Amino acid sequence: MIPEGTRYYLPPEARLRRELAGRLTELFHTWGYELVELPALELYDPHHVLAERSFKLVDKTGDVLALRSDFTSALANMTLAFPPERYPLRMQYAGQVWLREADAELGRVREYTQFGIELIGVSSPRADAEILELAWEALRALGFAEARIEVGLPSLVRDLLQSTGLSGAQIETLRQAIHHKNIPELSSLLEAYRVSENLAPTILALPDLYGGREVLQKARELSLTDKATADLDWLEATLSLLPDVPLLLDLGRARRLDYYTGINFQAYTQDFGLPLLGGGRYDGTLLPQACGFTVGLERVMEALRLPSEAGVPDVLALDRQMAHRLRAEGKRVELAWTDDLTALRHYARERGIPFIALEGRLEEA
Amino acid sequence: MIRGKYALTLALPKGRNLKDGYAALQRAALEAWHAEGLELPPFGAERALIHGEEGRVAILELRNADVPLYVDLGIADAGVVGKDVLLESGRDVYEPVDLRTGYCRLSLIRHPDNTGPIRRVATKYPNFTARVFRERGLVADIIELAGNVELAALTGLADAIVDLVSTGATIRANGLVEVEVLAHSTTRFIVNRQALKLKSDLLRPLIERLRQQSQALAEG
Repeated sequence: MIPEGTRYYLPPEARLRRELAGRLTELFHTWGYELVELPALELYDPHHVLAERSFKLVDKTGDVLALRSDFTSALANMTLAFPPERYPLRMQYAGQVWLREADAELGRVREYTQFGIELIGVSSPRADAEILELAWEALRALGFAEARIEVGLPSLVRDLLQSTGLSGAQIETLRQAIHHKNIPELSSLLEAYRVSENLAPTILALPDLYGGREVLQKARELSLTDKATADLDWLEATLSLLPDVPLLLDLGRARRLDYYTGINFQAYTQDFGLPLLGGGRYDGTLLPQACGFTVGLERVMEALRLPSEAGVPDVLALDRQMAHRLRAEGKRVELAWTDDLTALRHYARERGIPFIALEGRLEEA
Repeated sequence: MIRGKYALTLALPKGRNLKDGYAALQRAALEAWHAEGLELPPFGAERALIHGEEGRVAILELRNADVPLYVDLGIADAGVVGKDVLLESGRDVYEPVDLRTGYCRLSLIRHPDNTGPIRRVATKYPNFTARVFRERGLVADIIELAGNVELAALTGLADAIVDLVSTGATIRANGLVEVEVLAHSTTRFIVNRQALKLKSDLLRPLIERLRQQSQALAEG
């Protein structure tokens, strides 16, 4: 028995996971992101974004510990504890996180494997463009050449909602309607809350502002506050740095407005209903300036739909010298455990190993 | 596995919303997908669980409560479902059109003899009920029933129930009282977050048409 929400990774899945992990680590490395390792055990912090949902343990001192539930905050804490000599700081991480309650999106899994990067200490359209391009490269390295990254601008939604002057609860109700693209409800809420004639049509237009880069132009035609215009300028500057990256826009993205302070994004692939990666800019929430993204390995594996059968070795070898030579040629060679040729042939045939290496020659099994 | 097999997969609920939902979608699809040469598959009495031909539009006939789940997890690209079911499911899907059919309400219902504070409430909508009670700072045991919820109020299993009401005839016939309407419900068109973006050439015009139809219904 293993705990609910955990699982065994058997061949060939475990090997493929390692291989994909290797590709990402290497890619991030070539972009200058340094690998760091962080403890899986953390001191429990009631202000942590996922405090309620993390696994807790009791230390020998009686202090409460938590299993790591999020890399971004763990990295932020590390950066605060060991301030770097200079910025920008580029870091990558890989490892597991645990959540006590399964996330509805991820099914029953409670142990996840995440890969990601953080670009810390700078805040500019250039920095945003860097992580978007790297996210795109990561998708291609994983084999999702058809995937699309969708960029939202939570800062725009937040600035528009805040300029209505409504209460926090009312803004939250509006945010939910925008998040669900629930136009009929949004329309009646704007009326009920008596949002000004300047702002109401702009807010009502947000949910339908999705599509390609033309969306930006459509947004410009709306009546905007100065802050909102500045948000759009930033996004436009970011996009103009990435003319060759296929991006989608959705200016109605209104997830976690208190967390994201600039862009946020997710990547989708055809005929797979869940996002492959996600990230954005969160200046001032954990660190003064930071952005990054996370790739969920379990999600990627599910979307790739890889072969379910483990590979078979090429040769079963009785001859150890020959086994060395064949491996050097890139063959996959298993050693024989016995001299009993009948038993070996039987085993090779059953497993589908085509050749037996015997006294300096290859025989068909 | 049906991934990639159909141009678009739609989830429709069995029961009260099936006919209206299908009719609304069929009408909207006729104009929205004229250029693509696509239409809703015929929906006969055959026993198939998936209706439609490969490479075209497919319809999944589901239990009401399963529609948000299929859409949220992206097995279906879009679907039709009552707001009551959506409120209960808490699923994170787009909800771009109110089809304005299938009107009903989720109400708090009690036996007239029961006037004290609510200690135990029976319902088919436990998540929704828990949320409403929590928001009001009320503490009550919530019991989930599979059906005939009125019976819980009549027999004293619970001292209140939260249930779907359309005309209120059943409630009155059993001598129960609709104390308060907690939420209004109509049929909604819901869309998966990824599908709206990746299949927007099919979904965007469909949503546009559905909105026009719904507007006409409101003005009609």
